[in-house]
Amino acid sequence: MSETPGPRMSNPFREDLVSRSRPQPCTVVIFGATGDLTHRKLVPALYNLAVDGELPHGVKIVGFARRDKADDEFRAGLEELNRKVSRSGHDDELWGNFVQSITYHRSEFTDADGYQRLSERLDEIDRECGGKGNRLFYIASAPDFFDDILENLKAAGLNKASDGCWARVIVEKPFGTDLATARHLNEVVSRTFEERDTFRIDHYLGKETAQNLMVLRFANSIFEPLWNNRYIDQIQITCAENLGMEGGRGGYYDTAGALRDMVQNHLLQLMSLVAMEPPTDLSADGVRDEKVKVIRSLRQWDTPEKVAKNVVRGQYQAGYVDGESVPGYREEDRVDPESMTEAYVALRLMVDTWRWSGVPFYIRMGKRLPKKATEISVHFKSPPSVLFNTQGSSAAESNVLVIRIQPDEGISLRTVSKIPGTSMRLEPVKMDFRYATSFGKGSPEAYERLLLDAMAGDATLFARRDEVEEAWKFIDHIEHAWHESEEPPVMAEFVAGTWGPKEADDLLREDGHAWRRL
Amino acid sequence: MAPTVTLAATMSEEFEYHPELGRKVPVGEIDRELRRLWAEDDARTNASLINLAIYTERRGALVENSQAIRELTREHACRALLIGINREAPEASIEAWITAHCHLLNGQKAVCCEQLAFALKGRATGRLRNTVFAHLNSDLPLTFWWQGELSPIFTERLYSLVDRFILDSSEWADPVSSFARVHEAAAQSDELIIQDLSWTRSYQFRVSVAALFDDPVASAGLSSISKVEIVHHPKHRMAALQLLAWLSVQARWRPGMELSLADARRTDETEGFSFESREGVAVVASLRASESSAPLGNLSLEGEGLKVEVHREAGSDRLSRRLDAPGHKVETHGPVNSDDSLGLVGEQLSRGGKNSLYRKILPRFLTMLSEHDWHESGS
Repeated sequence: MSETPGPRMSNPFREDLVSRSRPQPCTVVIFGATGDLTHRKLVPALYNLAVDGELPHGVKIVGFARRDKADDEFRAGLEELNRKVSRSGHDDELWGNFVQSITYHRSEFTDADGYQRLSERLDEIDRECGGKGNRLFYIASAPDFFDDILENLKAAGLNKASDGCWARVIVEKPFGTDLATARHLNEVVSRTFEERDTFRIDHYLGKETAQNLMVLRFANSIFEPLWNNRYIDQIQITCAENLGMEGGRGGYYDTAGALRDMVQNHLLQLMSLVAMEPPTDLSADGVRDEKVKVIRSLRQWDTPEKVAKNVVRGQYQAGYVDGESVPGYREEDRVDPESMTEAYVALRLMVDTWRWSGVPFYIRMGKRLPKKATEISVHFKSPPSVLFNTQGSSAAESNVLVIRIQPDEGISLRTVSKIPGTSMRLEPVKMDFRYATSFGKGSPEAYERLLLDAMAGDATLFARRDEVEEAWKFIDHIEHAWHESEEPPVMAEFVAGTWGPKEADDLLREDGHAWRRL
Repeated sequence: MAPTVTLAATMSEEFEYHPELGRKVPVGEIDRELRRLWAEDDARTNASLINLAIYTERRGALVENSQAIRELTREHACRALLIGINREAPEASIEAWITAHCHLLNGQKAVCCEQLAFALKGRATGRLRNTVFAHLNSDLPLTFWWQGELSPIFTERLYSLVDRFILDSSEWADPVSSFARVHEAAAQSDELIIQDLSWTRSYQFRVSVAALFDDPVASAGLSSISKVEIVHHPKHRMAALQLLAWLSVQARWRPGMELSLADARRTDETEGFSFESREGVAVVASLRASESSAPLGNLSLEGEGLKVEVHREAGSDRLSRRLDAPGHKVETHGPVNSDDSLGLVGEQLSRGGKNSLYRKILPRFLTMLSEHDWHESGS
């Protein structure tokens, strides 16, 4: 028997077994391990992967946080949440086996000694596992600690892997609060990890429909020829939430707002998938090269006047959602009563490329809207008005392709059809594809897919440095106009439980458009 | 699990009616009657991603297969075509029934899948292609689940229409000749996807072996492996042979010179094989049948100071994966494949893919199968 092996050898039994990048065994270190994300998303995702047999053999999990806890106490807390939220349910025996791989490491994020102890602990785990190991650091702490964590990882030498192994970092959102902080954070990250080892997570990209966007566009020959300004009139992206600031989230949200919390990352990522050119290949950089070109091509709303003309911000007033009385934004828990943070934003974006010249992209995101729904709708141009609508029938309804991200993931296409009868009357009909109907079972959680991708070194569904910075560059102009100009655009108001302020409707009405009714 | 209802069960009794297969209809009226079926009920979502045909020559299996479709359509929306064949019947006849399986969601019939059942008797069995395949849902792929022994109806004229051919070699009395026909079909059509449920039975064992050899200790010890043992239920020898064929192909073991020697011959319970690794290590493999075993009960690989084992107790819903080396013992669990054919078909439909790995190991498997069955018949 050979002694401790060196670089990882190839595993012939993996060949041709599954059609995806191969996740590799590693130790996952989660910073912010006592937080909600770890308990509700990350550990249940790892547990479900283990239940499905997808988690690589030998994965260990180390929770790193400031609170004083023993391993058992930490595990008990994880188990309590896993019972409630796990996609595949909770099996005591499987959990009992899985949880043996989880340990707790108490340390301040700023304490260099804590990282030295972590390093020793990881070496110990590697020895127990029989060799040098891969490390995946997941930074799920409050953003204030990102710098400290990264710098201390570097100081402890944890950013460098042994020969034949890797050390990677996953950074949770928010990745900065503006361009300057994002650049600074990128500098810190790039001083610590190679770009190829940096995974800026955007869980929207792990959702099944988001992944299906590229398949829809590039694996179906009927859409791509129409996917341009000759045939598409406008594109809308909506992210509606019926929740407000429950559970104390007002504290964070009031410092961020809808634009920074959702648009800068999730919605611009979705938009870039819709608008990008076909990549030369499906490699991470092949796809991301095309996505970043879209963000870079956004017409900049770089004066308060342009912002006022193209962006609407708003706050909800007290109203009713799902039949329940809800407070206004400024009356919400942990929200400044004089807050100027937007809980709703609507934007008109123009992508200045040959393909999209003249096609507006409308994006809206809001809290306390009537229901929870995220979707992309592609509105095609109406046919020439020379035939049917000259005979008293209406053919005004154009074709609309809708890609539903959540809930009820699926795709629908609205076409126009003749109503049976002797007269020529036309009405829209909908062809609908629903994942749940057609496949009958739930998709894996986005975090499951993304964690496996990070273990496999596949960054396709993660944001690259230039994507993040280009997105912040665009967003910063708007934030400046709102918060630093002498005559900031107004804060619009709407009643909770309605579809946003009148000003947002006017934004589209100027172009002869209207928001799609959800 | 959402409750299900059978659409036809809610309808009037003006037609001859079978409680499981639904409304009996003249073959020439199937399309019209299907339209009526939908018009009479308040179900509105007719979902279909594939045409799924189930072929059987076993008496009474048509009704069982209808029950199977009801289960399958919970996760796999399809147009189902049930085909019951009685080649020995003196009179030629074709009967057909239609129904739909609807799955309730929030108290409503949310998703319904059509089912067409055909009973072909006597010389009418020759009209299978014309009669049954005229009712495929156009543009959707055809998955054909052949139950039981391959019969003369399995010809190029049949499988040239099929996209995905599901069979279960554990049901075959004469696997050598049946596999020869499958191999011929595979050779004639690169596009035909062949899915043997015996191969599916070994899937989680293969995943577990791959997972265990991700471990650097196991990976480093792979070249020293010299002994392989597989325990299987007597009914599932094909799954065990295919698992061994896969191991040897993936590990680049060549068939050993002594393959045809006495120690490699087959007894009632045990059969042996030998291979030679790229490093020149002789690998002795044995398959042992045990009545108390799960379909696949145990796989162990042993080398210098290393033992890698995947184990399943009969009836257990998980696999135990073990790695045992000096100072390094690991045990984890993995999911199992279903024990019944229906569950395995569901797994295959979920996984999809071209099944190129099966084509890759098929020649080695056929060599192993024919060598041993030749010895058995010759001894």
